[in-house]
Amino acid sequence: MDSTALIETENLTKIYSTGKVEVVALKDVSLSVSEGKFLGVTGPSGSGKSTLMNLLGGLDTPSSGKIKVEARPISELNKEELALYRRFQVGMIFQSFNIVSSYTALENVAFPLLFAGVPKKQREHRAKEVLEKVGLYPRRDHRPAELSGGEQQRVAIARALINRPKILLADEPTGNLDSQTSSQIVQTLAELNRNQGLTVIMISHEESLLRQFAHDVVHLRDGEVIEQENIR
Amino acid sequence: MRLRDYIEQSFSNLWKKKLRTSLTTCGVVIGIGALVSMMSFGEGVQKNVTDTFRELELFNYVGVFPDAESAPGESPEENQPDEREVAQRRILNDEFLEEVMKMEGVEAAFPELRFPAQIKFKDKDEFGLIQVLPAQVRQFGLVKLRAGDFYTSDEENSLIISDSMLRRMDVKEPETAIGEEIELHTLTVDSALFNPASLASVLQGEKLPFAQESYTFTIVGVAERTGFGGPMPIRSDVMIPPGAAENMKKLLLTSLWDFFESSEQNEGYSAVGLRLSAPRYIEPVKAKMEEWGFKTFALVDQLTEIKRAFLFMDMFLFAVGMIGIVVATLGIINTMVMSILERYKEIGIMKAIGASDGDVKKIFFFECEVIGFLGGVFGLALGWSVSMIINQIANSILAGQGAPFTDYFSFPWWLCLGAIAFSMLVSLAAGIYPAIRAARVDPVVALRHD
Ligand SMILES: Nc1ncnc2c1ncn2[C@@H]1O[C@H](COP(=O)(O)OP(=O)(O)OP(=O)(O)O)[C@@H](O)[C@H]1O
Ligand SMILES: [Mg+2]
Repeated sequence: MDSTALIETENLTKIYSTGKVEVVALKDVSLSVSEGKFLGVTGPSGSGKSTLMNLLGGLDTPSSGKIKVEARPISELNKEELALYRRFQVGMIFQSFNIVSSYTALENVAFPLLFAGVPKKQREHRAKEVLEKVGLYPRRDHRPAELSGGEQQRVAIARALINRPKILLADEPTGNLDSQTSSQIVQTLAELNRNQGLTVIMISHEESLLRQFAHDVVHLRDGEVIEQENIR
Repeated sequence: MRLRDYIEQSFSNLWKKKLRTSLTTCGVVIGIGALVSMMSFGEGVQKNVTDTFRELELFNYVGVFPDAESAPGESPEENQPDEREVAQRRILNDEFLEEVMKMEGVEAAFPELRFPAQIKFKDKDEFGLIQVLPAQVRQFGLVKLRAGDFYTSDEENSLIISDSMLRRMDVKEPETAIGEEIELHTLTVDSALFNPASLASVLQGEKLPFAQESYTFTIVGVAERTGFGGPMPIRSDVMIPPGAAENMKKLLLTSLWDFFESSEQNEGYSAVGLRLSAPRYIEPVKAKMEEWGFKTFALVDQLTEIKRAFLFMDMFLFAVGMIGIVVATLGIINTMVMSILERYKEIGIMKAIGASDGDVKKIFFFECEVIGFLGGVFGLALGWSVSMIINQIANSILAGQGAPFTDYFSFPWWLCLGAIAFSMLVSLAAGIYPAIRAARVDPVVALRHD
């Protein structure tokens, strides 16, 4: 194992048991991601990409195996500690954006700071700053329904970054976007990776998109890593 | 998360569903309103009764009356063979009054004398009970006067009449009756008719063995209300001084029973009221009276009874009031569960961006508390308004019957604060299940794209 790795997984396994049927969503996945890397994860539908993402993001717990972030065993944290991990260590974005439809762009971006106990004035100030970064400052008072898909995903990116995490996890961030917007979004992620040292793990089944921006690409099939290629 | 944020967040979340929030809150308002009215009524009754007792100093009162069961000749000899009992037997007469006045703590002793009479005033007449009360009673506040004054000596031919009796006589202004003359017609047994010859005609219903005597008095005072003039809470219509009463021919009668018993008990008063200087004398005085072979009655003895009755009433009113609260609670639970289903994804988002289970729980608890607080405040206002309206109506109805203005509802500070606190407590309880359910939402499931 790489001792300088920011994220490490060791025989990570996730088994879903619904009734009598057991689904092995992830099997013995051992990965290592160094700080500042852009890792792409690809694979066919049902190969366990989202499962891996949810485990790395602390939204779910593995059936067996370990996850270490900055040498800290995430897989052994309790619920409270996991909440703190999600709050400060990682930012997540999703295919369906997952922003609150009744909140404005600004409120959505500021939302995580609420749980971090940041006072309202500071919350707004910081949210404006981050919105500026993703180029959405002028649209801050618009609600999701008034924003395009790409703009909504930018709101989600801004929200993921507001607590200044080291890791950004993106699960099919371009799945709901056209190719031009997709490429702009991934471009943004790549810039954040390059300019701010943000470690990015992005899932996509569009291999070409990953090849264009990622340093490494991991191929999953039936919950197992079948190939790891280094691109640049 | 900061307290302020929880509160702001709750208000803004609830504000987004104005109609539902207000309907749910309305349920709480009605529930708390009903409960508050019920409780304040219970409090009001309790306050009125105890205040009256205290005002009339009834807790310093001991009633003494003969023990019918151990009356001479009636006591079963085989059970009480000792001589002492018989030797110490006393009669409720003037001698007794003198003796008892010497006891420590006894301020006054006045005989209980009550007899029926026809009361004639102007061209009206009514049947009523006349009570003999010594002039010294005035200083104990037993009788509250609406107009005029108490008679100053036991000998004068003056009387005090109750406000309600005056009203029955069609006198609306009590002041106008002061100084007026009034006639009392008493019934006496006509002894002349108690000979065998006349008795036959009596039995044939030709002539009753009663005679009527007429006495003229001057009204000096009008009583608002009277307290316990004797062992029983009977309100007399007319009070006269003992000196004047002595000169009257009358049938002593506190009850029909007395009438039949009067032959044996003629030797004494039917009861004597003792006024003590402090409640602490009640026990020793009672003990002494019982030793002398009398029965006693002290309101203090009834106090625990009365308190228990009030507790019972409070519990009953509370139980009735709780029906509304239970319904309101179900309303809150329903609203919250609905809200969780609607905000399923939002809860998933909150968790993904770092909300702990505790944060999620608290968000829902705070929403319940906002409903509870608003429900409590407006419920209290509703309960208060309804009580005030009922109070006005009740008083305007009862005023026609001569009742003084009374607050039938009481709102002590603990009831007001308690109503709001209780509302919030109930809402908190209502929030337990929804909050746990919200905290249990699995973010992975909630965020899975639809
Ligand atoms: N909660 C669950 N209960 C049971 N099985 C599950 C559950 N979640 C995922 N699975 C199964 O685990 C496997 C991996 O699912 P996952 O969502 O990780 O795939 P994926 O690679 O993200 O697919 P897609 O590209 O379609 O998003 C699938 O077979 C899925 O049916
Ligand atoms: Mg997926």
